[in-house]
Amino acid sequence: MGKSKERIAGYLFVLPALIYMLFFVGYPVIDNIRLSLIDVNVMNFSSGDHPFVGLENYKILQREGILATTLTNTIVYTIGCIIIQFICGLGFAMLFSIPFRMAARLRGLVMISWLLPATITAMVFKYMFSADGIVNELLMQVGLIPDPIKWLVEPVTAMLVLVVANTWIGIPFNMILITSGLTTIPKDLYESAAIDGANTMKRFFKITLPLLKPTILSLLVLGFIYTFRVFDLVLITTHGGPVDATQMMSTYAYKLSFDEFKYSQGAALSNVMLLVLLVVGFVYMRLVNREEKA
Amino acid sequence: MRRFRLWTLAATLVFAIALTGCGNNSSENTSKESDNASATQVEKAAVEKKKLTLWFYFEGKERFDKLKTLTDGFTAQNPNVEIEPVYVPFADLKKRLSVGLAAEDLPDLVIIDNPDHAAYAAMGLFADITDEVSTWTDKDQFYEGPWSSTIYDGKQYGVPLGSNNLALYYNEQMLADAGVTPPQTWDELREAAKKLTKNGVTGLGISAPANEEGTFQFLPWLLSAGANYDQLGSPEGIKAFSVLADLIKDGSMSKEIINWTQSDVLKQFSTGKVAMMVNGPWQLPELASTVPDLKFGLTFVPKDKAFSSVLGGENLGVVKGDHVKEATAFVKYVVSPEVIKPFLQSFGYFPPRKDVAADPYWTENPQLKVFAENMEYAMPRGPHPKWPEISNVISQAMSKAFTLHSTPEEAAKDAQSKIDAILK
Repeated sequence: MGKSKERIAGYLFVLPALIYMLFFVGYPVIDNIRLSLIDVNVMNFSSGDHPFVGLENYKILQREGILATTLTNTIVYTIGCIIIQFICGLGFAMLFSIPFRMAARLRGLVMISWLLPATITAMVFKYMFSADGIVNELLMQVGLIPDPIKWLVEPVTAMLVLVVANTWIGIPFNMILITSGLTTIPKDLYESAAIDGANTMKRFFKITLPLLKPTILSLLVLGFIYTFRVFDLVLITTHGGPVDATQMMSTYAYKLSFDEFKYSQGAALSNVMLLVLLVVGFVYMRLVNREEKA
Repeated sequence: MRRFRLWTLAATLVFAIALTGCGNNSSENTSKESDNASATQVEKAAVEKKKLTLWFYFEGKERFDKLKTLTDGFTAQNPNVEIEPVYVPFADLKKRLSVGLAAEDLPDLVIIDNPDHAAYAAMGLFADITDEVSTWTDKDQFYEGPWSSTIYDGKQYGVPLGSNNLALYYNEQMLADAGVTPPQTWDELREAAKKLTKNGVTGLGISAPANEEGTFQFLPWLLSAGANYDQLGSPEGIKAFSVLADLIKDGSMSKEIINWTQSDVLKQFSTGKVAMMVNGPWQLPELASTVPDLKFGLTFVPKDKAFSSVLGGENLGVVKGDHVKEATAFVKYVVSPEVIKPFLQSFGYFPPRKDVAADPYWTENPQLKVFAENMEYAMPRGPHPKWPEISNVISQAMSKAFTLHSTPEEAAKDAQSKIDAILK
């Protein structure tokens, strides 16, 4: 009896959040799905005559190669970013876990790139990597390249610049989460391992990494979601160019909806984005569940 | 419990995405509310006033003040109507209008980039003011280009506010040193650009990003060849892509143009990194203030068959709603010769009206003269409700041709088939 009362109280506590979610999250998502199944464009917008077209909008995206291009670009970008960010973040976290003078202050300094608005970062990187920018200047002075590289004009280097820019933004986030993960590892584990004769490498791979696993897992998933949704950085640095080489799902969806007024196609593309993120989310939940059971 | 966590995670993801879609108009709303609050007190005291809003995207206080003189001037003549100019950033305007159309949260007047006028007319944003302007004698004074950009499907949806176009700026010293005269034809341009390219200076700079700005800069070339946006794949259309691609192949123009905005091009020109550039009259004050010693000349964009230019500028659109009558009166007031003339001069605009354009201010000034004469040839983009889509196809083809990833022919033919699909 007391138990079921408690349960009802519990549900009552989450009810406001639930209503909020349904209204502000559930409704837009469902409406977006509805919008992607009808045809709303510049010519029929005002008439109210929006025919049901089923999956036609998705098929158009697929037929015109938009889906393949933007999905590939976004995934290449995301994977590239999170791998490099994670490695650098881990490196920084390990470095700053060594107690040396200034460690705390330097760690604070690294945070700056995460605090800057993405718009500003994007503009700075655009100028640094322009043909007469500082990057070419430096590379030429040390004699690594004979002529300036047109970073933002070639497809591969343009993507590289974006990955570098976003990595620079993302390192502090990775560093902080790993740092807090490191503090949860009991010091005596290392001490007893050292007594048993384990060297630094061994301690890292046998103690640090396994115990960091939950942290790493959530870090990678959060990193994936954050990176996958990239928008302003790309829009300002490359505008999706050259020739769609850095066109992301988010930037293309925006272009379809708000530039070309193909509202239904834009909705379809953002739904695909949502789907990808949901899959990632569910995989993460499965992994966490397995972790908890073990 | 576990299931619930799964659900919250899913919901969080969804919410994160939903966030990317919604704009940030909250601050805008609150400021409007406080305005309304103070206004109600005034209304109680005085006679009932009609309050209208005007959305515009010109940056800076100075330009706001100039717009305010227009709205204040109108209120002085029509004390019962008050018009409030509200700034909306250019990048947000299209989104705000689209969202506003769905949510019925719209201004009474909009200053809009002229190639977008037809699209919003088609989407039902603007009021049909054909009857109001049919008896208006002033309408015959407008140049055909600007005037036609306010018409969609035979109906009038606004009036041209101010116009501009593109011309060729050249660095007099560099041309003299290289022993070349300002190029008039495409052949002369190629030769001149080659001679001017040396010591880190390239011959010509244009702006060719994959958006409306790029399309705007390409149209003079396309029109001069004798083609228009629906004939990209024709021999004339291909030629227009080729002439610019050839300059890049020669090294006389940088591939980086696909990332340059028109302001970037100006920077290249004012710092002496390009010898010639294609740009608009709005850059003149900037050049005068940043590099007062730079001697430069102005001439038409070099021609293939005939000199051509593209029409830039903004229109005043009357939005559907309860205040169409007042808004139409305001629009007519703004473009009347005595009101529009000082406004155009202070804004660096060119008159969309022939009678105002005949003023010596534009015809005698050696710098402004070129742009003023260009007004005769300046063709609007479209007008077509699907112009934004057409424009993206054109600028995309430019990127392909100018990065030399495709031949001009491939890029033009591919663009033609896409445009055919849009127009069918």
